[in-house]
This record gives sequence, C-alpha cells and structure tokens, in this order.
Amino acid sequence: MAETVKLFVNGQEVEVESGKNLIDAFKVIGVEIPHFCYHPALGADGNCRMCLVGIEDGRPPLVPACKTPVAEGLKVQLDTEKIKKIQHDVMELELINHPTDCPVCDQAGECTLQDYYMTYDHQASRMRVPQVLKGKKMDFGCGVIHDQERCVLCARCVRFTRLITKTGELGIVNRSDEARVTTFPGRKLDNRYALNVVDLCPVGAMTSKDFRFKQRAWFLSRSSGICHGCAKGCNIFIDHNREKGGDDRIYRFRARHNGLVNGYFICDAGRLSYHQENEGRLGTTRLAGKDCTIDEAVETARRKIENARKPLFLISPNCTLEQMIAIKGLATARKGRVSGYSDSYIMEGDGDDFLIRDDKSANRAGFAALGIDTTLEAFRLALNEADLLVNFNNDLLRSEASGTFTEKLSALTVIAVSSHDNTLTRKATVAFSVSSYSEYGGTIINQDQILQRFTAAVVKNDPVPNMIEVVRLLGGPVTDDVTITKAMQDAIPVLAGIEATAFPTAGLNLKEKETDHVTA
Amino acid sequence: MSDRSHLIFTGKPFQFDAERDAEFEYLVKRYPSRESMILPALWLTQEQEGWVPGEAIAYIADRIGTFASQVYEAATFYTMYNLHPVGRNHICICRTLSCWLRGKQEIVDYLANEIGIRPGEISEDGQFSLEEVECLGHCGTAPVVQINGEFHENMDVEKLKQLLSGLR
Repeated sequence: MAETVKLFVNGQEVEVESGKNLIDAFKVIGVEIPHFCYHPALGADGNCRMCLVGIEDGRPPLVPACKTPVAEGLKVQLDTEKIKKIQHDVMELELINHPTDCPVCDQAGECTLQDYYMTYDHQASRMRVPQVLKGKKMDFGCGVIHDQERCVLCARCVRFTRLITKTGELGIVNRSDEARVTTFPGRKLDNRYALNVVDLCPVGAMTSKDFRFKQRAWFLSRSSGICHGCAKGCNIFIDHNREKGGDDRIYRFRARHNGLVNGYFICDAGRLSYHQENEGRLGTTRLAGKDCTIDEAVETARRKIENARKPLFLISPNCTLEQMIAIKGLATARKGRVSGYSDSYIMEGDGDDFLIRDDKSANRAGFAALGIDTTLEAFRLALNEADLLVNFNNDLLRSEASGTFTEKLSALTVIAVSSHDNTLTRKATVAFSVSSYSEYGGTIINQDQILQRFTAAVVKNDPVPNMIEVVRLLGGPVTDDVTITKAMQDAIPVLAGIEATAFPTAGLNLKEKETDHVTA
Repeated sequence: MSDRSHLIFTGKPFQFDAERDAEFEYLVKRYPSRESMILPALWLTQEQEGWVPGEAIAYIADRIGTFASQVYEAATFYTMYNLHPVGRNHICICRTLSCWLRGKQEIVDYLANEIGIRPGEISEDGQFSLEEVECLGHCGTAPVVQINGEFHENMDVEKLKQLLSGLR
C-alpha cells in the first residue's frame, strides 16, 4: 500500500490509502458509499448527489464523497439520519420516472438502482401522476441499444465518449424531467470501444444488442480470463452458463479492471470475440476427414511423426508458454524444427494508441521468451525441407499473406492439433480437437512484456483435451507441471523467485528490474 | 418543459451569411476556447434564419470543432433558441414556479382555446407561435409573458387579449 492516512468513519478510526477520494478509499476497506455518476476512469462529476456524506469540521453540512479527498483526522459521517434521508430522497427522485420494468430488463440482478433501492430506499411509490415517456430500444449504433426511460442521467456514457474515445457521439439533451441521453441525428456511436458504455451504465439504460435477452444475469457464472483477440491481453470476465440440458456456453465478455494492462475497458472486437469460443470449433478428432477415437488418432499420428525425417512443428502465437514449452520438447525429442511463424495474425495499421494492437495474437512475446523462431525465412526453409507438418492451432492461412504456401502445403502430410476448424484442419490427415483459451489455464506475455496468468473458465460436458495432453500422447517428454514450470523458470528467471500463490494478480512486468519482484 | 429533442432538418445546407460569418470570426477571438462560441453561434443562426434548423447545429459543431452532441445539448437546454420556425409574433410564457403558481396555465389555456396554439406550435396563419420557457427572472411580477423579446409582467388573460389585438 502507498502512503496512508488515518480518519474516522461513523466515529470509528480507519486507515486508508491517501490520494484517493472517499468512495475509492473506503471501498478498499469494505465501506460502501452509494453513487451513480462517479467512476474512477471518468472522474468525479458530482451530478447524482447519491454520495453525499457529512464531515464534522465546520464545512457545509454535506459534501459529495466523490469530490472529497481523504485527509488525516477527517471525521466522516455516513449513517446519520440526515444522510439516510438524503439517500432516500435521491432514490425517490431517481425512481419517479423509472419504468421499473426489471422483469424484462437485462440489467436486473446487476443493477445499481435495484441494489440501492433495497439498501437505501425501500418505500412504495408516492407518485400519482403519469410518468414522463421517453425513447425505448433506440439503436445508438455499434450494437448499443438505449432505453431513455431507465436512464438515471449519470452521464457516464456521455463522459466516456468525450473523455476516453474523444468521439463525443452522446449528449444529454433537454432539461429537467425531459432530459435524456441521445445522439445527434445522423451521428450515431462510431468508435471501436462503444460497448463499454454498457458496462459503465449503472442501470439498464444501455444494453448490448448482442447480449440482450440471452441470459439473466443471475444465471451467469463470472470467471476471470484474458482476451486473446490481440497482443494487449486485456483482462475480461467470461460470463458463461450451462443451461438445463445444454452445454456450458459463453454469453458475453466484460471488461475486468487491470491497471497494468487495460484499465477499465476493452475494445468491442475483443468483447464480441467470445463468439469464436462458442462457434467454428473443431468438434471432433478426425482421421482422414472421418471422426475417430483419440486412441486411433494418436496411433496414426505417432507413427507418422516417428517415420518423418524432417517434421516441422508449427505453433500458434496464441498458445500459452506451457503449451509452447511442451511442443518444443516434443520437437526436440523428434529432432524436428519448431516455428512460430504467424505473420497472418498481424493486421498492419489496425491498432491504435489505446488498447487495440496490430498483432491479433495473445502470446507472440512468448516465442521470444522461449527462443522460438518466428521468421518467414526460417519457416519457408523448414517447410520446403519438411515431409510432415504438425500444426498446433496456428491458423497459417487466415490471411492472404500466407497464400504462397498453399502449393507446398497441399503436397505435405499435415497433423493438426487445433481448437478451431480451419483450412489446415480440413486438409490434415489427423486432426486433434483440443480446448481453447476459455477452457484451459496458462501463462502468456503481452506486447508490453506483461506476463499474465489465467485459469480455465468454461467446463464443457465432453471436455476435449488440452493441447499439452495431446503432446504427451504423441510422446512429448515435457508435459508435466513440474518439468514445464522448471523450463519456464529457466527461460524467464524472474519467475523462479515468485511463489505460485504470491503471483501478482495484475501480472508481472518483465521490463522492470528483476529485484523488484523478489519477495524475500 | 417540453421535449425539444426533435430537430427539424430543412434538407438545405446551412452556412452563415457574410455578415454573420464576420461576426463569428470577430467573437471567437474574445473567448479562451472555441467551445465558448456555441451559444453566440446559436444566436447568430437564429438572427439569420429566425430559428435553428438541424443542419445549423451540425454546421456550428463542425465550424467550432466540437461535438454535434454538445451543440445539440445547449440548443435543447435553452428555450430561447427556437428549434422550429416561429410566427411573426413569438410568445414565450414562463412556466417556472412563481409564474405557475400565479396562473400561467390560464394564459396557456386561453391561447390554446382562442388562437389554437399549444406550446411548441405555430398558428395556421403564421401570426403567432407559443413556447413555454423556463424562468425569465421576473418572479416578483409573475406571471410573465415575453412577446418578440419584450417582457410583459403581472399578466392575465384580459391583458393578453389587449396585447394580442394590438399585434394583429
């Protein structure tokens, strides 16, 4: 913890981090100050009045907690009758024109307004006049659907487009009870981060077209994960559910805060990339295009690898360090070549200066850390000499750039170990179906040299094996946790000084001096 | 306050005429940031056209270099900007607390029944248009009616009748 200050909450002395406002500082110690408009990434706006607290030092009787920094000796009152009355009144005002359509609202179950109603309000409506009617299911563009009646006018979404994306599509027009969030006609949301307003919205005013009406929030299991959409490695929540009679399935990704990597946000492409975890998968293990048991596939594949004079092992830049180590071990044992060539994953010029990167793979930096060659020259040379290609999930032909290999590939025997169906699995003699990143755990390094760990989120009814298990079945000598961990520590020495349980949740910055990480 | 968010687009491109253009460039130097020009630019538009069409809001945003949503916010917040064509005589009735308590509704009802215009509307002959506006700042002499920019205090239906007959 950084510097701390001591202050009083409801007469009780507490110690909190300095430099924060009351909301953030108290949240860490488990004291909630209700608020709608404040968000750490968007700053204090002070418009919702829900966070008003009392300070016993001769200041005005009430101050907004979002705009009040912690200070030594501050006496903060959160539970006086006056504060409760104000929270009660603010809630009553918020709910005057709220449609209270919770049963059909996507936000129900994760709605600030619902939660605060139960905690701070809990009264019957006294309104006997018609409510103000506003726009429903307005298509704001970029997959954002807006309901003006549910809105509490906290302006988080408006501030997001003005301060973060700097595109400013949203605004609050009119005033008083007619005020509403909208876009200027003909200038809808048009930025690559727009769906973050759905996360930011404390109520059900902003919903995602992609997620609407698919699941109730309380059915979803929220697992932590890392987006594999690009080399940024943004932290996400993987919200998934196994419906009765169905299989475990992902329904959405949401941004998960990590100050070291992505802050509070993720891009829309990454958010929607969960579809690729549900669809387009290589469902079954196949031998010459026909479904087969894994034993049959292993037998054939082992024979082919053993008989090959110059096998080439091609690795996906999305593989974890653990998987890469296992594959490298197999290649070394079989005297084969290893390549991480994957230029087809790079979309030159697509990245920006916020979160999106040109490189659409999650662990390219892992190749460098493990000394796996990724150059086109080496790959071409190896491919020309090879009599067998064992491809580990590398979607080599995903872009035009790799079209030059088609001819050579068509003459080559291919064994595919793949989570997804692609051109290489279709032409493979043997194709192993393996798990994808939402179903396994591992370690990856992002483009900024932040090493992160993630764990399995989704457990399928009929789980397919992790790639490492297939490597083991194919005779790979480095497939158990202990050996892999040892190999990883050899490649990245700083890891040796860190207990697995003490691994920093935000990840490890490999650019920093090693001594910074030693937890002696 | 009524919903003012429905902008009217004329289908014709908007730009300042030479006089307003010069005025805009003169005014812009007076402010520390270009965003400050939103309100003056809306006034210039209203001076030129009599009202503020949707195209003008986009024009102002682009000219200033700010978001259209921000100009849209200001134009819909302030009732002094007409977001639709107004009659030869534009009547604004204050609807804020003091005026409401002192009988603004009788005047609004009179106009609806006798002239046939509700807030936000224009009479068929184009003579009159009506808008309910927020506080005009003359609470001590409520209710207040503003006709073509001139204030008329302590109003009632009788006084309004006389005023309107003088305008016909």
